[in-house]
Amino acid sequence: MAQDSVDLSCDYQFWMQKLSVWDQASTLETQQDTCVHLARFQEFLRKMYEALKEMDSNTIFERFPTIDQLLAKACWNPFILAYVDESQKILIWCLCCLINKEPQNSRQSKLNSWVQGVLSHILSALRFDKEVALFTQGLGYAPIDYYPSLLKNMVLSLASELRENHLNGFNTQRRMTPERLASLSRVCVPLITLPDVDPLVEALLVCHGHEPQEILQPEFFEAVNEAVLLKKISLPMSAVVCLWLRHLPSLEKAMLHLFEKLISSERNCLRRIECFIKDSSLPQAACHPAIFRVVDEMFRCALLETDGAPEIIATIQVFTQCFVEALEKENKQLRFALKTYFPYTSPSLAMVLLQDPQDVPRGRWLQTLKHISELLREAVEDQTHGSRGGPLESWFLFIHFGGWAEMVAEQLLRSAAEPPAALLWLLAFYYSPRDGRQQRAQTMVQVKAVLGHLLAMSRSSSLSARDLQTAAGQGTETDPRAPAQQLIRHLLLNFMLWAPGCHTIARDVITLMAHTAEITHEIIGFLDQTLYRWDRLGIESPRSGKLARELLKELRTQV
Amino acid sequence: MESLLQHLDRFSELLAVSRTAHVRTWDPVTVRRALQWARYLRHIHRRFGRHGPIRTALERRLHNQWRQEGGFGRGPVPGLANFQALGHCDVLLSLRLLENQALGDAARHHLVQQLFPGPGVPDADEETLQESLARLARCGSAVHMLRFNGYRKNLNLQEDSLMKTQAELLLERLQEVGKAEAEGPARFLSSLWERLPQNNFLKVIAVALLQPPLSPRPQEESEPSIHKTPGEGSQALVHWLLGNSEVFAAFCRALPAGLLTLVTSRHPALSPVYLGLLTDWGQRLHYDLQKGIWVGTESQDVPWEELHNRFQSLCQAPPPLKDKVLTALETCKAQDGDFEVPGLSIWTDLLLALRSGAFRKRQVLGLSPGLSSV
Repeated sequence: MAQDSVDLSCDYQFWMQKLSVWDQASTLETQQDTCVHLARFQEFLRKMYEALKEMDSNTIFERFPTIDQLLAKACWNPFILAYVDESQKILIWCLCCLINKEPQNSRQSKLNSWVQGVLSHILSALRFDKEVALFTQGLGYAPIDYYPSLLKNMVLSLASELRENHLNGFNTQRRMTPERLASLSRVCVPLITLPDVDPLVEALLVCHGHEPQEILQPEFFEAVNEAVLLKKISLPMSAVVCLWLRHLPSLEKAMLHLFEKLISSERNCLRRIECFIKDSSLPQAACHPAIFRVVDEMFRCALLETDGAPEIIATIQVFTQCFVEALEKENKQLRFALKTYFPYTSPSLAMVLLQDPQDVPRGRWLQTLKHISELLREAVEDQTHGSRGGPLESWFLFIHFGGWAEMVAEQLLRSAAEPPAALLWLLAFYYSPRDGRQQRAQTMVQVKAVLGHLLAMSRSSSLSARDLQTAAGQGTETDPRAPAQQLIRHLLLNFMLWAPGCHTIARDVITLMAHTAEITHEIIGFLDQTLYRWDRLGIESPRSGKLARELLKELRTQV
Repeated sequence: MESLLQHLDRFSELLAVSRTAHVRTWDPVTVRRALQWARYLRHIHRRFGRHGPIRTALERRLHNQWRQEGGFGRGPVPGLANFQALGHCDVLLSLRLLENQALGDAARHHLVQQLFPGPGVPDADEETLQESLARLARCGSAVHMLRFNGYRKNLNLQEDSLMKTQAELLLERLQEVGKAEAEGPARFLSSLWERLPQNNFLKVIAVALLQPPLSPRPQEESEPSIHKTPGEGSQALVHWLLGNSEVFAAFCRALPAGLLTLVTSRHPALSPVYLGLLTDWGQRLHYDLQKGIWVGTESQDVPWEELHNRFQSLCQAPPPLKDKVLTALETCKAQDGDFEVPGLSIWTDLLLALRSGAFRKRQVLGLSPGLSSV
C-alpha cells in the first residue's frame, strides 16, 4: 500500500506537469501529445479516484494540495474532456470527492461552490454561438434536446465535405487544406469509440485527398486500429482495408494481435484457429494484394523463426483457406491478377494450387496431385530461373494449401497400384524441403518400401502394434524428430485410421509411437488436422472418424 | 388521470423554481423528493408514450402551460415544453440545480451524491441518471471539439450543420404548435420574430424551407395520431411569410440570391410575391445619364447589381419558375414602352444584361450561341 501511494505521488507530479504544458491543447504539438497520452492519463485518474474515495475532503487537500488545479486543468483541456472512454465520469467522481460534507469556514464553502461550477461546466461543455443559443432557447429547447442531432449533422456534414474533397480533385476552391485534414484526424482521436462519429472516421480513412504523402496523423491511425482490434468500433471492411493500406504499423499490429491470440489459446485446435482468423478480418483484407504480401511475409518470418513449427504451418493453411473463400466472394468487384499475390510463382502452378479440392471431382484428385508435383519439381530443380529462394520458396508456397498437401499420403495409401513417383517425390519434398537430390531419392525408396509393407498388412486380419512398427522400420535408434521419421509416423497413423484391421490396435500403436511429450503433441495435431480436413471435404468414413475423435479426446486428457 | 396532471403541474413549478434563488431554502429532503418526482415522470413518459389519450392530454397540458407562462418564443422556458421533454426531465432538473449557485451546502452535497453515486451496477431496465448525464457530457464535448477544431461555415447555408439543426428544431416545434392549436404557428412565429436576432432567424427560415420532409424522430414512440405529414412545418412558414409583408421584404433583402431562388423554386406560392418585390425595387431606380448606370434615390434602395444578381439567379432556375420570371420581365418591359434601347427602361436593360450574360456563359461552356430561352 505504501508503495502504491509513493507511485501515485510520482505520477501526480508527472501529470501535473504535463497538464500545465498542454494547457487548453490549442497548438498542434500539445494536441498531438495529449492524444498520445489519453489512455494513460485515464488510468491515472482511475487510480486517483480509488485513492480519493477513501479520504474526506480535508485529508485529500493535505495529501494533494493542488488537486483542484489538476482536475481543473484536465476539465479545461477539450481533448481530455472529450475522451470517450470514461473520462467524463471519472473526472466527475474525482471532483465529487472534493466536496466538503460539512464546511467549517467560508473557504471550504467557496470550494464546494467551485466544484459545483466545474461539474456544471463538464455537463454543459459548450458555450455556443450566442445566436444559436438564443434561438434554441427561444424555441424552448435545452441542449439535451438537440445536442445529439447537432452532433449527427456536424459529423455528416464533415463526412460529405471529405467525400467531395476526394472526388473533386481539380476544384481547388473547395479543397480541404492539409492542415485542416490533419486537424480533423487529431480531433477524432479522443472520439474514436463514440458511435456517432463513425461516419467521420470512415470518411477520413476512405477519402484520400490529393497530397502525395500521408497527411493524417499517426495517432489517429493507431487509435482507430486499437479500437478495431478490441472491437470497440464497427467500421465497414473497406475502411479497415484503407486503414491497413495507409498505415503499415497498424497492419503489423493486427497480425501480432492475431498471433498473440493464437499462442495463448488451446494448442492444436484448428476450429478455434479458424474462428480467430475469421474474426480478425485479415483474410478479407488480404484480398488486396499489398496486404496479402505483408501478411504472407509475417507468416514466413514466423515460420523461419520457429524452424517450421507444425502449428504455424497449420495456421498458414487455415488462413489461406479463409483467404481463398474471401477471394471468391470478393471477386465480383475487384480482380487482381494471381501474379500480384504470388509474384515468384508460375501462374499455372498458382492456379492449380488455388483450386479447392471440393471443386475438383474425386476421381481427378490423383491427377491433380501429379500435376502439382510436376510443376513444383520443375520450379525446385530449375536453378537458372533467377527466382529467389529456390526450393524453400516453392515449399513455402506449397504448404499454404493444406487441402492438397495433406492429401498426398492418403492418396498413396488408398491406391493398391504401384505408388507414382511424382507423389512420392511430393511427399518427401513436403516433409523435408532442404534435402539434396540423393537424400530425397533415398527417402522416396524408404517410403515406397513402407507402403509396400503396409499394403501387404492391410490384407491380413490380425495385426499387432509391433508388426506395424516393424513394417514401418521404426524402433530403431534414429532421431525421432528427423523429418523422415515424422513422415513415416504420419503414414502409419493415416494407415491406422483407415485400414479396417487396425482399429483395435490403434491405442497400442500410439503408445509405442509416443515416447515423448513432443511426439504426443504432434499426434494430437495430426488427428485434429485430419478431422478438420475430413469435415471440410466430407470424405470421412464413420468408423475412421469415430476412432480419430476418440483417440484425440484420450490423448488430449493425457497432456 | 387528474392526479397525473396535477403532478405534472407541480413538477413544472418545481422546475421553474429550480432556477431561482429560492433554492436556498431547499434541504436534502427537498432535493431528494424533487429527483424522485422527476424519475416518476420519466417513468410515465416511458409507459404512456404509446398510449394515445394519456399522451395527448399530457401534451395539451404542457403546451398550455408553456404558453401561459410566457414562454412561447418569449424567452427560455421555465417549465417543460412538450411530452418529449418528459423523457429527460430528470436531466433538466439536475442541470438546473447544478447550475444554481444559490444552493445550500447540505443540499448541494446531497444533490451531487444522488447524481453521481460512483461506479456501480447499471440498471438493466433503463439508463440511470448518472449514465444520462455522462452521455450528455460526452455528446457535448464531442460537439465542442468538432465545432472549434473541425467545423467551417458552409457557404451553402442549407448544408451548414448549425443552420440545419436550428431549422430542424424550428420545423419540429411548428409541427407541435400546429397540432395544439390552429392559429398557433402564426402567433408563435410572430413572437419569435419580435424576440430573436432577426438575421439569424431569417436564415433559419430559409434553410427550414429547403429541408427534405421530416421523418419521425427515432427515439419517439410512433403513434398514429402523431404521424407526421411531411411539410406541415414548412407550410406554416410559407403561410406566415405570405401574411407578413414586412417580414417577407426583410427575408428577400437579407438572404443571398441563390438561396432565395432555391426557396422560391421549392415553394411556388412565394414566387409571385417575390417577383412583386423585385418589381417594386426595380421601379425605384432611375437612370443616371452622367454615370450611365441605374441608381436609387435613397440609401436603402436595392442597387442595380443586386437586382441583376437576383434576376440572373432566377433565370438559372428550372422551369416553371424561370419562365414565370421571364414572362414577368417581358410584361414589365412592354408596359414601360417595349424599348430596345438601353437607358430608358430598367426592364429592357435587365433583359439585355441577362441575355448577354447567358451568351457569355454559353461561350465559356462551349455551347453554340443560341437565342432559345435567354
